[in-house]
Amino acid sequence: MQDTEIIAKIIKKDKNALYHLYDRYSGALYGVILRICQNQVVAEDVLQETFVKIWEKIEHFNPDKGRFYTWAYRIAKNNALNAVRNSDKLIQNDDFSVFKEKENIEVEIDIQQLNGAISQLEPHHQEAIALVYFRGYTHREANKEMGVPLGTFKSYIRQAIQLLRERYQVEMALLLWIMNVV
Amino acid sequence: MDKEYITTEGLLEKFLLDELGEEENQGIERAIANNRDLKQKFEQLEADFERMAFENAITPPPHIKNILIERLDEKPIRQIRYQWLGAAASLALLFMLTTFWMYSKWQTAQDELNILQNQSVVLEDRLDVLEKNYELTNDRLQLINSPSTIPFVLKGNSVQPNSRAVAYVNHDNRLVVVNPKGLPQLSSEQTYQMWSDVNGEMIDMGLLPTDKDLVTLKYIDRAESLNITIEPAGGNDHPTVEQLISAVTL
Repeated sequence: MQDTEIIAKIIKKDKNALYHLYDRYSGALYGVILRICQNQVVAEDVLQETFVKIWEKIEHFNPDKGRFYTWAYRIAKNNALNAVRNSDKLIQNDDFSVFKEKENIEVEIDIQQLNGAISQLEPHHQEAIALVYFRGYTHREANKEMGVPLGTFKSYIRQAIQLLRERYQVEMALLLWIMNVV
Repeated sequence: MDKEYITTEGLLEKFLLDELGEEENQGIERAIANNRDLKQKFEQLEADFERMAFENAITPPPHIKNILIERLDEKPIRQIRYQWLGAAASLALLFMLTTFWMYSKWQTAQDELNILQNQSVVLEDRLDVLEKNYELTNDRLQLINSPSTIPFVLKGNSVQPNSRAVAYVNHDNRLVVVNPKGLPQLSSEQTYQMWSDVNGEMIDMGLLPTDKDLVTLKYIDRAESLNITIEPAGGNDHPTVEQLISAVTL
């Protein structure tokens, strides 16, 4: 079943359609949430809240403006960042400090290990993408974290995306070739 | 916002990551809707990021889905919130009405208390007047009934044959009280005045207004007789003998 069909059912308050969507996207979203929260209990709550919000706000999703996953990713990311701020109980003007507190435990947590195409990139490309996509940093926070100028950081992101795309295209070409051969 | 600016500034990435403000978001949405190339770039970016997310997916514990099912099966969340809101609003309204009702009651009670306090003051004043009247009446009654009090009836002479007054004289207490009710009504320019005769000289004892039950007059030592004359209003220094209407010897 296509996402659009499932979403149409959710709009009609079909709970089973939501559970179907959960089965499809919960892993990808939980991967982001857990990497931002770095706490399993908090991350589980955030995942649950994310799907409750999807259930409540599905009427606001506009497929003309983007994919469902992009919309759900934004909800998950914002919920996770709020949960981190609340659970840390840090009152800071600069959110960047909140993430600095997390830095010490980052290396000890296995979930920071990235898989797939991103894991094959250069370390600085990996880190740039990981910070903004999997850790919830803004570009400004991330470039400070990496200790490079903002312009350089933007170049890292652009290059990383380009390299990811090339690898995905190679994989796709390989897949098509295998299918033709078989 | 033109395509070049959006691309070089990495705004598509920031838009996807929800890093932009409301105004910039709307600008990017418009640009994507109006530019096919930009739209393709954004769709490609979404696809790449989504694929990367799936490559890094972590399967959540199974109980999370069960909790989600339980939560959604309980009651519609919005309904619960509206119910709580409704209950809170009802309680607030009830509290407001109760407070208003109590305030009204308190105001009414305060008004009634003020009225009662005013009435109490009026009643106290009336009681004072009644007590004074009672004391006066009692004093006069005691005087009239006293064994040492001598009543004298002053009958009218030919000038005013129908007049009659009673004088109560108590030499022990040196008091003279007269009941003038039997004296005919005079015009407003005239008044009755009483005199004591002491060795042939008429001494003023006071006026006799006819609208009173008892009038206390001056006690004159060694008075030989009591006399009533009709005088101009306000009284006279010397009696008008032609207007003598009554006299009695003590």
